This record gives sequence, structure tokens and C-alpha cells, in this order.
Amino acid sequence: MIQIEDLSFGYSKGIPLFDHLNLSLPAGNIYGLLGKNGAGKSTLLKIITGLLFPIEGKVNVEGFQPQNRYPDFLQEIYLITEEFHLPSIKMARFVQLYSPFYQRFDHDVFNAYIDEFKLVKEQKLSNLSYGQKKKFLLSFGLATDCKLLVLDEPTNGLDIPSKSQFRKILANAIHEDRSFIISTHQARDMENLIDPIIIMEEGKIIFFQDYEQLSRKLAMTKQAKLPEDGSLVYSESTFGGYTIVTENKKMEETNLNLEILFNAVVSNTAKINEIFKN
Amino acid sequence: MHRSNHFNFSRFWSYLKMELFRSRKGIWMVFGISFGTLFILGLILTPFIEQDMTIYDHNDGYTFHILIGGFVLSSLTFRDLGNSLKRYRYLTLPVSALEKFLCMWFLTTICWVIVYTIAYYCFTLIATPIGKLLFSPLKFTNFNPFSGIALSAIKYYLVIQGIFMVGATHFKGYILPKTVLTVIAAGLACGIIFVLFLSDLFIAEHDCAGYECEHLSTIGENKFWSIIKWIFWWALAPVCWIITYQGLKEKEA
Repeated sequence: MIQIEDLSFGYSKGIPLFDHLNLSLPAGNIYGLLGKNGAGKSTLLKIITGLLFPIEGKVNVEGFQPQNRYPDFLQEIYLITEEFHLPSIKMARFVQLYSPFYQRFDHDVFNAYIDEFKLVKEQKLSNLSYGQKKKFLLSFGLATDCKLLVLDEPTNGLDIPSKSQFRKILANAIHEDRSFIISTHQARDMENLIDPIIIMEEGKIIFFQDYEQLSRKLAMTKQAKLPEDGSLVYSESTFGGYTIVTENKKMEETNLNLEILFNAVVSNTAKINEIFKN
Repeated sequence: MHRSNHFNFSRFWSYLKMELFRSRKGIWMVFGISFGTLFILGLILTPFIEQDMTIYDHNDGYTFHILIGGFVLSSLTFRDLGNSLKRYRYLTLPVSALEKFLCMWFLTTICWVIVYTIAYYCFTLIATPIGKLLFSPLKFTNFNPFSGIALSAIKYYLVIQGIFMVGATHFKGYILPKTVLTVIAAGLACGIIFVLFLSDLFIAEHDCAGYECEHLSTIGENKFWSIIKWIFWWALAPVCWIITYQGLKEKEA
């Protein structure tokens, strides 16, 4: 579905952000894109959605080159950015104006999401709170029946019940022909939703694994003392002990914490990659 | 690639309706300001300022406002590109660059000329009797939208308008002043080149009295001048439209 080969891109000449980046994202998954500020997450999303053009390399999304921005391609993607602008019109008017561009737009699906999010269609978009605007955009994006929904920091501004509602809706909306890419810093909000997990650092994909592999290869436990057998990958001191990430040699079933996984990958990339190679 | 990826009438029509709806406030403002100034400055104040005026015709007002109003609207055509938040939605909206360009070209050329001319004609139907009532000795002539002056104004507008569309795709913010400044700078550059090449000719003794200048008539007959005129009337606008379309296609977020 998304095939990136030898992608090179940089904002300034001579300072590449991506240097021959390769990535393949088959359809049917909710990809979690994690990374520090400036790692290249948003840039990658912009290239995938045709908002930025590669300097070198091939990007293929649903059989299209995104940079052509053909309408047949654009109706298969929907991008919800962290910051956005919505016109000062009623929801119903927005739908009336924008839905004709998406051939498979389903008004019943849209209405169902709007009801689930408890939004009022006759309300002006400019009068909605930030979180409500996000819910509206998510409802619209899902109703377009696009094959790729790209969400940049989707849970920012959502209250706690809305976050779980958001996770539930996304989990129900995924199917084998569709993919979601979620870029976020709020790793905890995305737990039990995103799979596989992609971690970026300085324009490189330093980690790309699904949950099954993760739980087979890594173990996260709380211990009073740090292990001394060399299996330690990462540790964080917590109240009364440590949360540690180790190689899962005993094939234990442990709860994976995305935030700790992220820190482990970023601080000990070489060891993590070595574990996953075996 | 499928032809519908460049132009699809139904999509074009939806986009046209959307743009008209989105621009409704801007269009009303341009009309309001145009006809407000036409009524107050043009109709009410001009007879006071120009005391020796005997005949009032509406041609000057029409020419001035079709140009200025049209340039303002043309420079607003791709305003979303200048706003980082609006740009994402604008560029990812499933409409081709050709459709976006054609829609805005259609609205700012054909639609603007027709709607403004009709509105101006209606305005003169109301303004003329009011003017006659207020300034009884002054003779008011009716506005003829098919007169040579009106048609000439339309011709000039259609040619120059493209420059403002280029500005709309290439400048971020303050598009109208930036475009006007660029045009002035280009005009100055041309003027300097003109002076550098022809200053000796004009300094030398020749017959010159106001508009009647020996050299100007000679230059007018020159082949080079004919080429410049041809470029202005036939090449400037299409080149500007092509640059605008390319600018839209190559725009990144």
C-alpha cells in the first residue's frame, strides 16, 4: 500500500533529513509513528500525503505517486494535522461542500460518528472546542472511506473519556483494505491500538516491529534491583525499584509500556536491534 | 494517467460552488466598497471638485473599478496557500491543479467581468436620476457596456489580471501590495533600460510638443514596438496563466 524506496529529502541543501530511506507499509494496520521532535515524523507524513516532494527516490501510495496530487489519490487519503483550521460554518454545510469530492462518502456513517461523539450538526464549527473539532474531523475522515487516514497527534486536546472513545472508534473502523498512520508523542494514549510500531530518529527508521514480535523478544518488569546478567536493555527508576526492559529469554508474558519501549529503543538502539535480529 | 485526474466537470462544478460560497464575504465587500466609493466619491463629490464639468459619463468609474476590484479579487484567488493551517486542506482536497486554476480563472475573469458590468449598469440606472436631481445643470450620459471605452477596459483587465494570479500563487501574505510592488519594480527596470538605450535620441533636438513627439511616432512605427505590443496583448496573459497553473501544481506545504 505504501512503498518508499531510497527516499532522500531535506529542507536545506546539503543537510538531508532522509537519506535513502526505505519503508513498506502493507494495508490493514494501524501504524504508530513515534519519535522525538525533529525526528522527521511530520515530514514523512507530508511526503506520503503529497504535501512535500522527495528530492530523490520513489514513493508509491495506493499505486499513485503522491506528489502528482491526482484527485483519485487525494480521495483515498485523509490527513488530520495537529493544528488545523476549520471554516466558520455549520457542520452540515461543511459536509455539503466537502463531501462531493469523496466519491464514497457515507453520510450515514458520518451521522453515526457525530452521534457517538455527541456533536450537534447544526452547530458552527468555529464554536466547537479543539477536542470537538478533532472529533468532527475524525468523523468526516472516516466517512470518506479513504484507504489511508493519517493522524498527527490525534489525542492532543482530547479529554480522558474522549481518548478511549477515539481508540474504540479507530479500532472498529480499520479493515484489511485500509490503514491508519498515527504520529504521536503521547505513546500511552495509543497503547493497545497501534500495531506495528515505527520509531524514527534523525530521519531514520530505527525500529519497526509488531506487538507479537515485541512481546516475544522483550520483557518489561518491575524489580527491586537491576539484573547483573547482561540481559538489561533499559531501566527507569521508579518508586521502590526499577522498571526494566530485558531480552525475553524465558518467553514470559509481560505488559508492554509504549513509553518505556520508546525510551529503550532510543537509548539503546543497537542492543534492541541485535535482539530482534536473532 | 486517467483524464479525470486532470479535469472532471462534476468535480469542477462542486469546487466552483464551494469557492463561491467561501468567497461570498470577499465578493460582497469588493462590491460594497466599489459601489460605495463610486456613489460617494464618483457621483457626489466629483461635480463639486470639478466645477467646470458639463457632462458626466460613467466610463471612468467603470474602468477604474473593474480593474482595481478585479485585481483585488485575483490576488485573493489562492489565499489558502498563504496560511499554513489552511494550506494542508487546500492541497489535499481531491481537486486537480487544473480544476483549481480554471475555477479561479473563470471566477475572476468571465464571472467578474459579466457580474460587475451588469451590477455597474444597474448602478448607473439608479445613480443617473439621483445625479440629475442633485446637479440639475450637469448632463448625465447613460453607461453603455458595449462602448469602446468599456470594452477596452475589459481587454486591459483580462490581460493584466493574470499577473495578480501569479502573485497569488507565489507570494505568501500581502499578495496585492507585493504584486503591485513587483510590477512597479519591473516597470522601473524597463524604464531604465529604455532611458539607457534611447536617452541620446530624446536629448537630441527634435519636434516635441506634449503628446505629439516626433520620436514617439517613430518608435510606434518600429517593428520592435509592434513585437512588444503583440507580447502584451497575446502572450502576457497566457504566460501568466501557465505560471499560475505550474505554481499550483508545484506548491508544497
